[in-house]
Amino acid sequence: MSVEVAALIRQGAAPTPCAGRFVLEAEAWQAMIAGLRATDLPLLGLWSDGVQVHALFHHDPIPLVASVAVSPDGYPALSPVRVGAQGPERIIHDLWGIPAIGGRCEPWLDQGRWPVATPLAAHRAPTPGLPEGREFIDDAAVRQAGGTGLGYGPAEGNFRAPFHLRLGLPGARIEAVQPCMGYAHRGLAARLRGLAPQQAARLVARIDAPATVAHQLAFARALHNATGTAMPAQDVAAGVMLGAMERIATHLDVLAQAGAMLGDGRSATLAASMLEQMRQMCRNVCGRRLLFDVIPPAATFPVRVDGAQLATLAAEHASLHRLFWRPRGLAAQARGKGVLSATMAARLGIMGGNARAARKGQGDVTDRLEVRLGEIGASLALLAAPPESTVMEAEGGGEEGLGWAEGPAGLLWHWLRLEAGHVAAWWCGDPSLALAQALPAILSGAAYEDVDLIVVSLGMSATGADL
Amino acid sequence: MARLHLFWPEGTPLPRLEALDIFHIESGGCTGCALELASLSRALLAGNHPIRFVSTPRQAGMLLLTGSLTVGMAPVVELAWQAMPGPRVLAVVGDCAVDGGLFGGNYAVLGGVGVRARSSVSLPGCPPAPDEILAALVRWQTTEGER
Repeated sequence: MSVEVAALIRQGAAPTPCAGRFVLEAEAWQAMIAGLRATDLPLLGLWSDGVQVHALFHHDPIPLVASVAVSPDGYPALSPVRVGAQGPERIIHDLWGIPAIGGRCEPWLDQGRWPVATPLAAHRAPTPGLPEGREFIDDAAVRQAGGTGLGYGPAEGNFRAPFHLRLGLPGARIEAVQPCMGYAHRGLAARLRGLAPQQAARLVARIDAPATVAHQLAFARALHNATGTAMPAQDVAAGVMLGAMERIATHLDVLAQAGAMLGDGRSATLAASMLEQMRQMCRNVCGRRLLFDVIPPAATFPVRVDGAQLATLAAEHASLHRLFWRPRGLAAQARGKGVLSATMAARLGIMGGNARAARKGQGDVTDRLEVRLGEIGASLALLAAPPESTVMEAEGGGEEGLGWAEGPAGLLWHWLRLEAGHVAAWWCGDPSLALAQALPAILSGAAYEDVDLIVVSLGMSATGADL
Repeated sequence: MARLHLFWPEGTPLPRLEALDIFHIESGGCTGCALELASLSRALLAGNHPIRFVSTPRQAGMLLLTGSLTVGMAPVVELAWQAMPGPRVLAVVGDCAVDGGLFGGNYAVLGGVGVRARSSVSLPGCPPAPDEILAALVRWQTTEGER
């Protein structure tokens, strides 16, 4: 059935300048929705440019984008057949005022404090705002049980981007979860409009610090595809190398936090010490501890990193692995907490390490940390023996391009359209949006004390989800 | 673990640190500054330093902001400030918190808190390194102690 839906999308009447994107008539879009009901073609993203709505599907060998023109009433919703479309549909409504027919239109980003409604639309209207903020209505089961409603975020004194969870606990365990996003929204789509690609790249690098290389790489690929220029082999090699360094650093940060939360001081200290070595290595290679503004790389970018440092890290990684699996270690303590099943991951279009952990075991915190440990080892091996890189040929070249990269939390996407050499429209698909939508299912049945650990293990970043 | 220098850049030893409880809020940035603060926090904990980060504003004497202030976070920052007991000071760390940096005002962002409120510690950088943040905090403590 996936093949049939893909064929249906490819039959889109109008060819587009973006490789893999097809514009569907309204009837074909409806037929695609009907076809999606019977297939498992994963939806990876949904966005609008004000004129059309675009849906990104995972399909080999290249991803497929189905587009439909927006009618005065909106566009037929995908959320009835793809639950992961709910968040993006509500974001499109917040930013553009375009409703999804048959979907939900409650605010996702706009909690009533923006001075204008639909800020990306051509005709923006001032709003009176809701000075008291959003009101939560607790689940009937929680109310009847006389349970407690607890909040998590947006200011917990930790070092993560702000978001809020309203948690309903009828007893000892969490039963109802209502995420409230938008605290970290900076209006990036509006900021990038009209910028030269070099200026836009500086903003893109600062979407989410733990995944900055992946964002820079995906944006650079989209730009190369839009301009029809091949990505030089040196840039490709730098992307592979810096991506591995970023992955190691972010995974170590997660392991250090998890160790500290579970009271495993030895693991936490070792992971934090390795993390600091990685930051120093980044400084040696790029001149900065965090890898902002490194793609495209400088002419002086080294081809290899220091072998002695890598050998030390590899030995410490082996120690961390032993500590992880020792009796009463991190693995034993985190077992059974925060389960993200493979079915749920597929339904929400969650990919990358979280999906691999879900397929590998039951998808709990232990599985996710184990996948991260494994990726640290693989990335260290990659840095020790970097593969030969070749020029990456451009796909398309008609002023519109799509690019992707695998970040520490999963696949992320950048799409852009250029006009007169400047960004006219831009979209970014970050894995954190799907993770935010999965939180109610993942946290259901968890203890309140484990919320922090579960969120950290997922690698969810509100700043990537809110943009 | 961040390796913290025990000397000023001029070579003289750092003065003895005074107790300071800091409540940190990421008010809408890329979390780069927050990552460096996390490194600093781990190092301070490991070294038993009297400066520490706390999980509630009710224990804090300093409110430390990173990131440009979003419209959604403005009331959160205000509530945290009001919840801090007794004498309290404000610190802004990173370009975004100091003057907005790359994320100046728009429909969703108010800009840097550093240009809207009087701050005791203001440290630019994108992001400043942990030792720079610690040096700024100690320098402020030393200046306060001399007054």
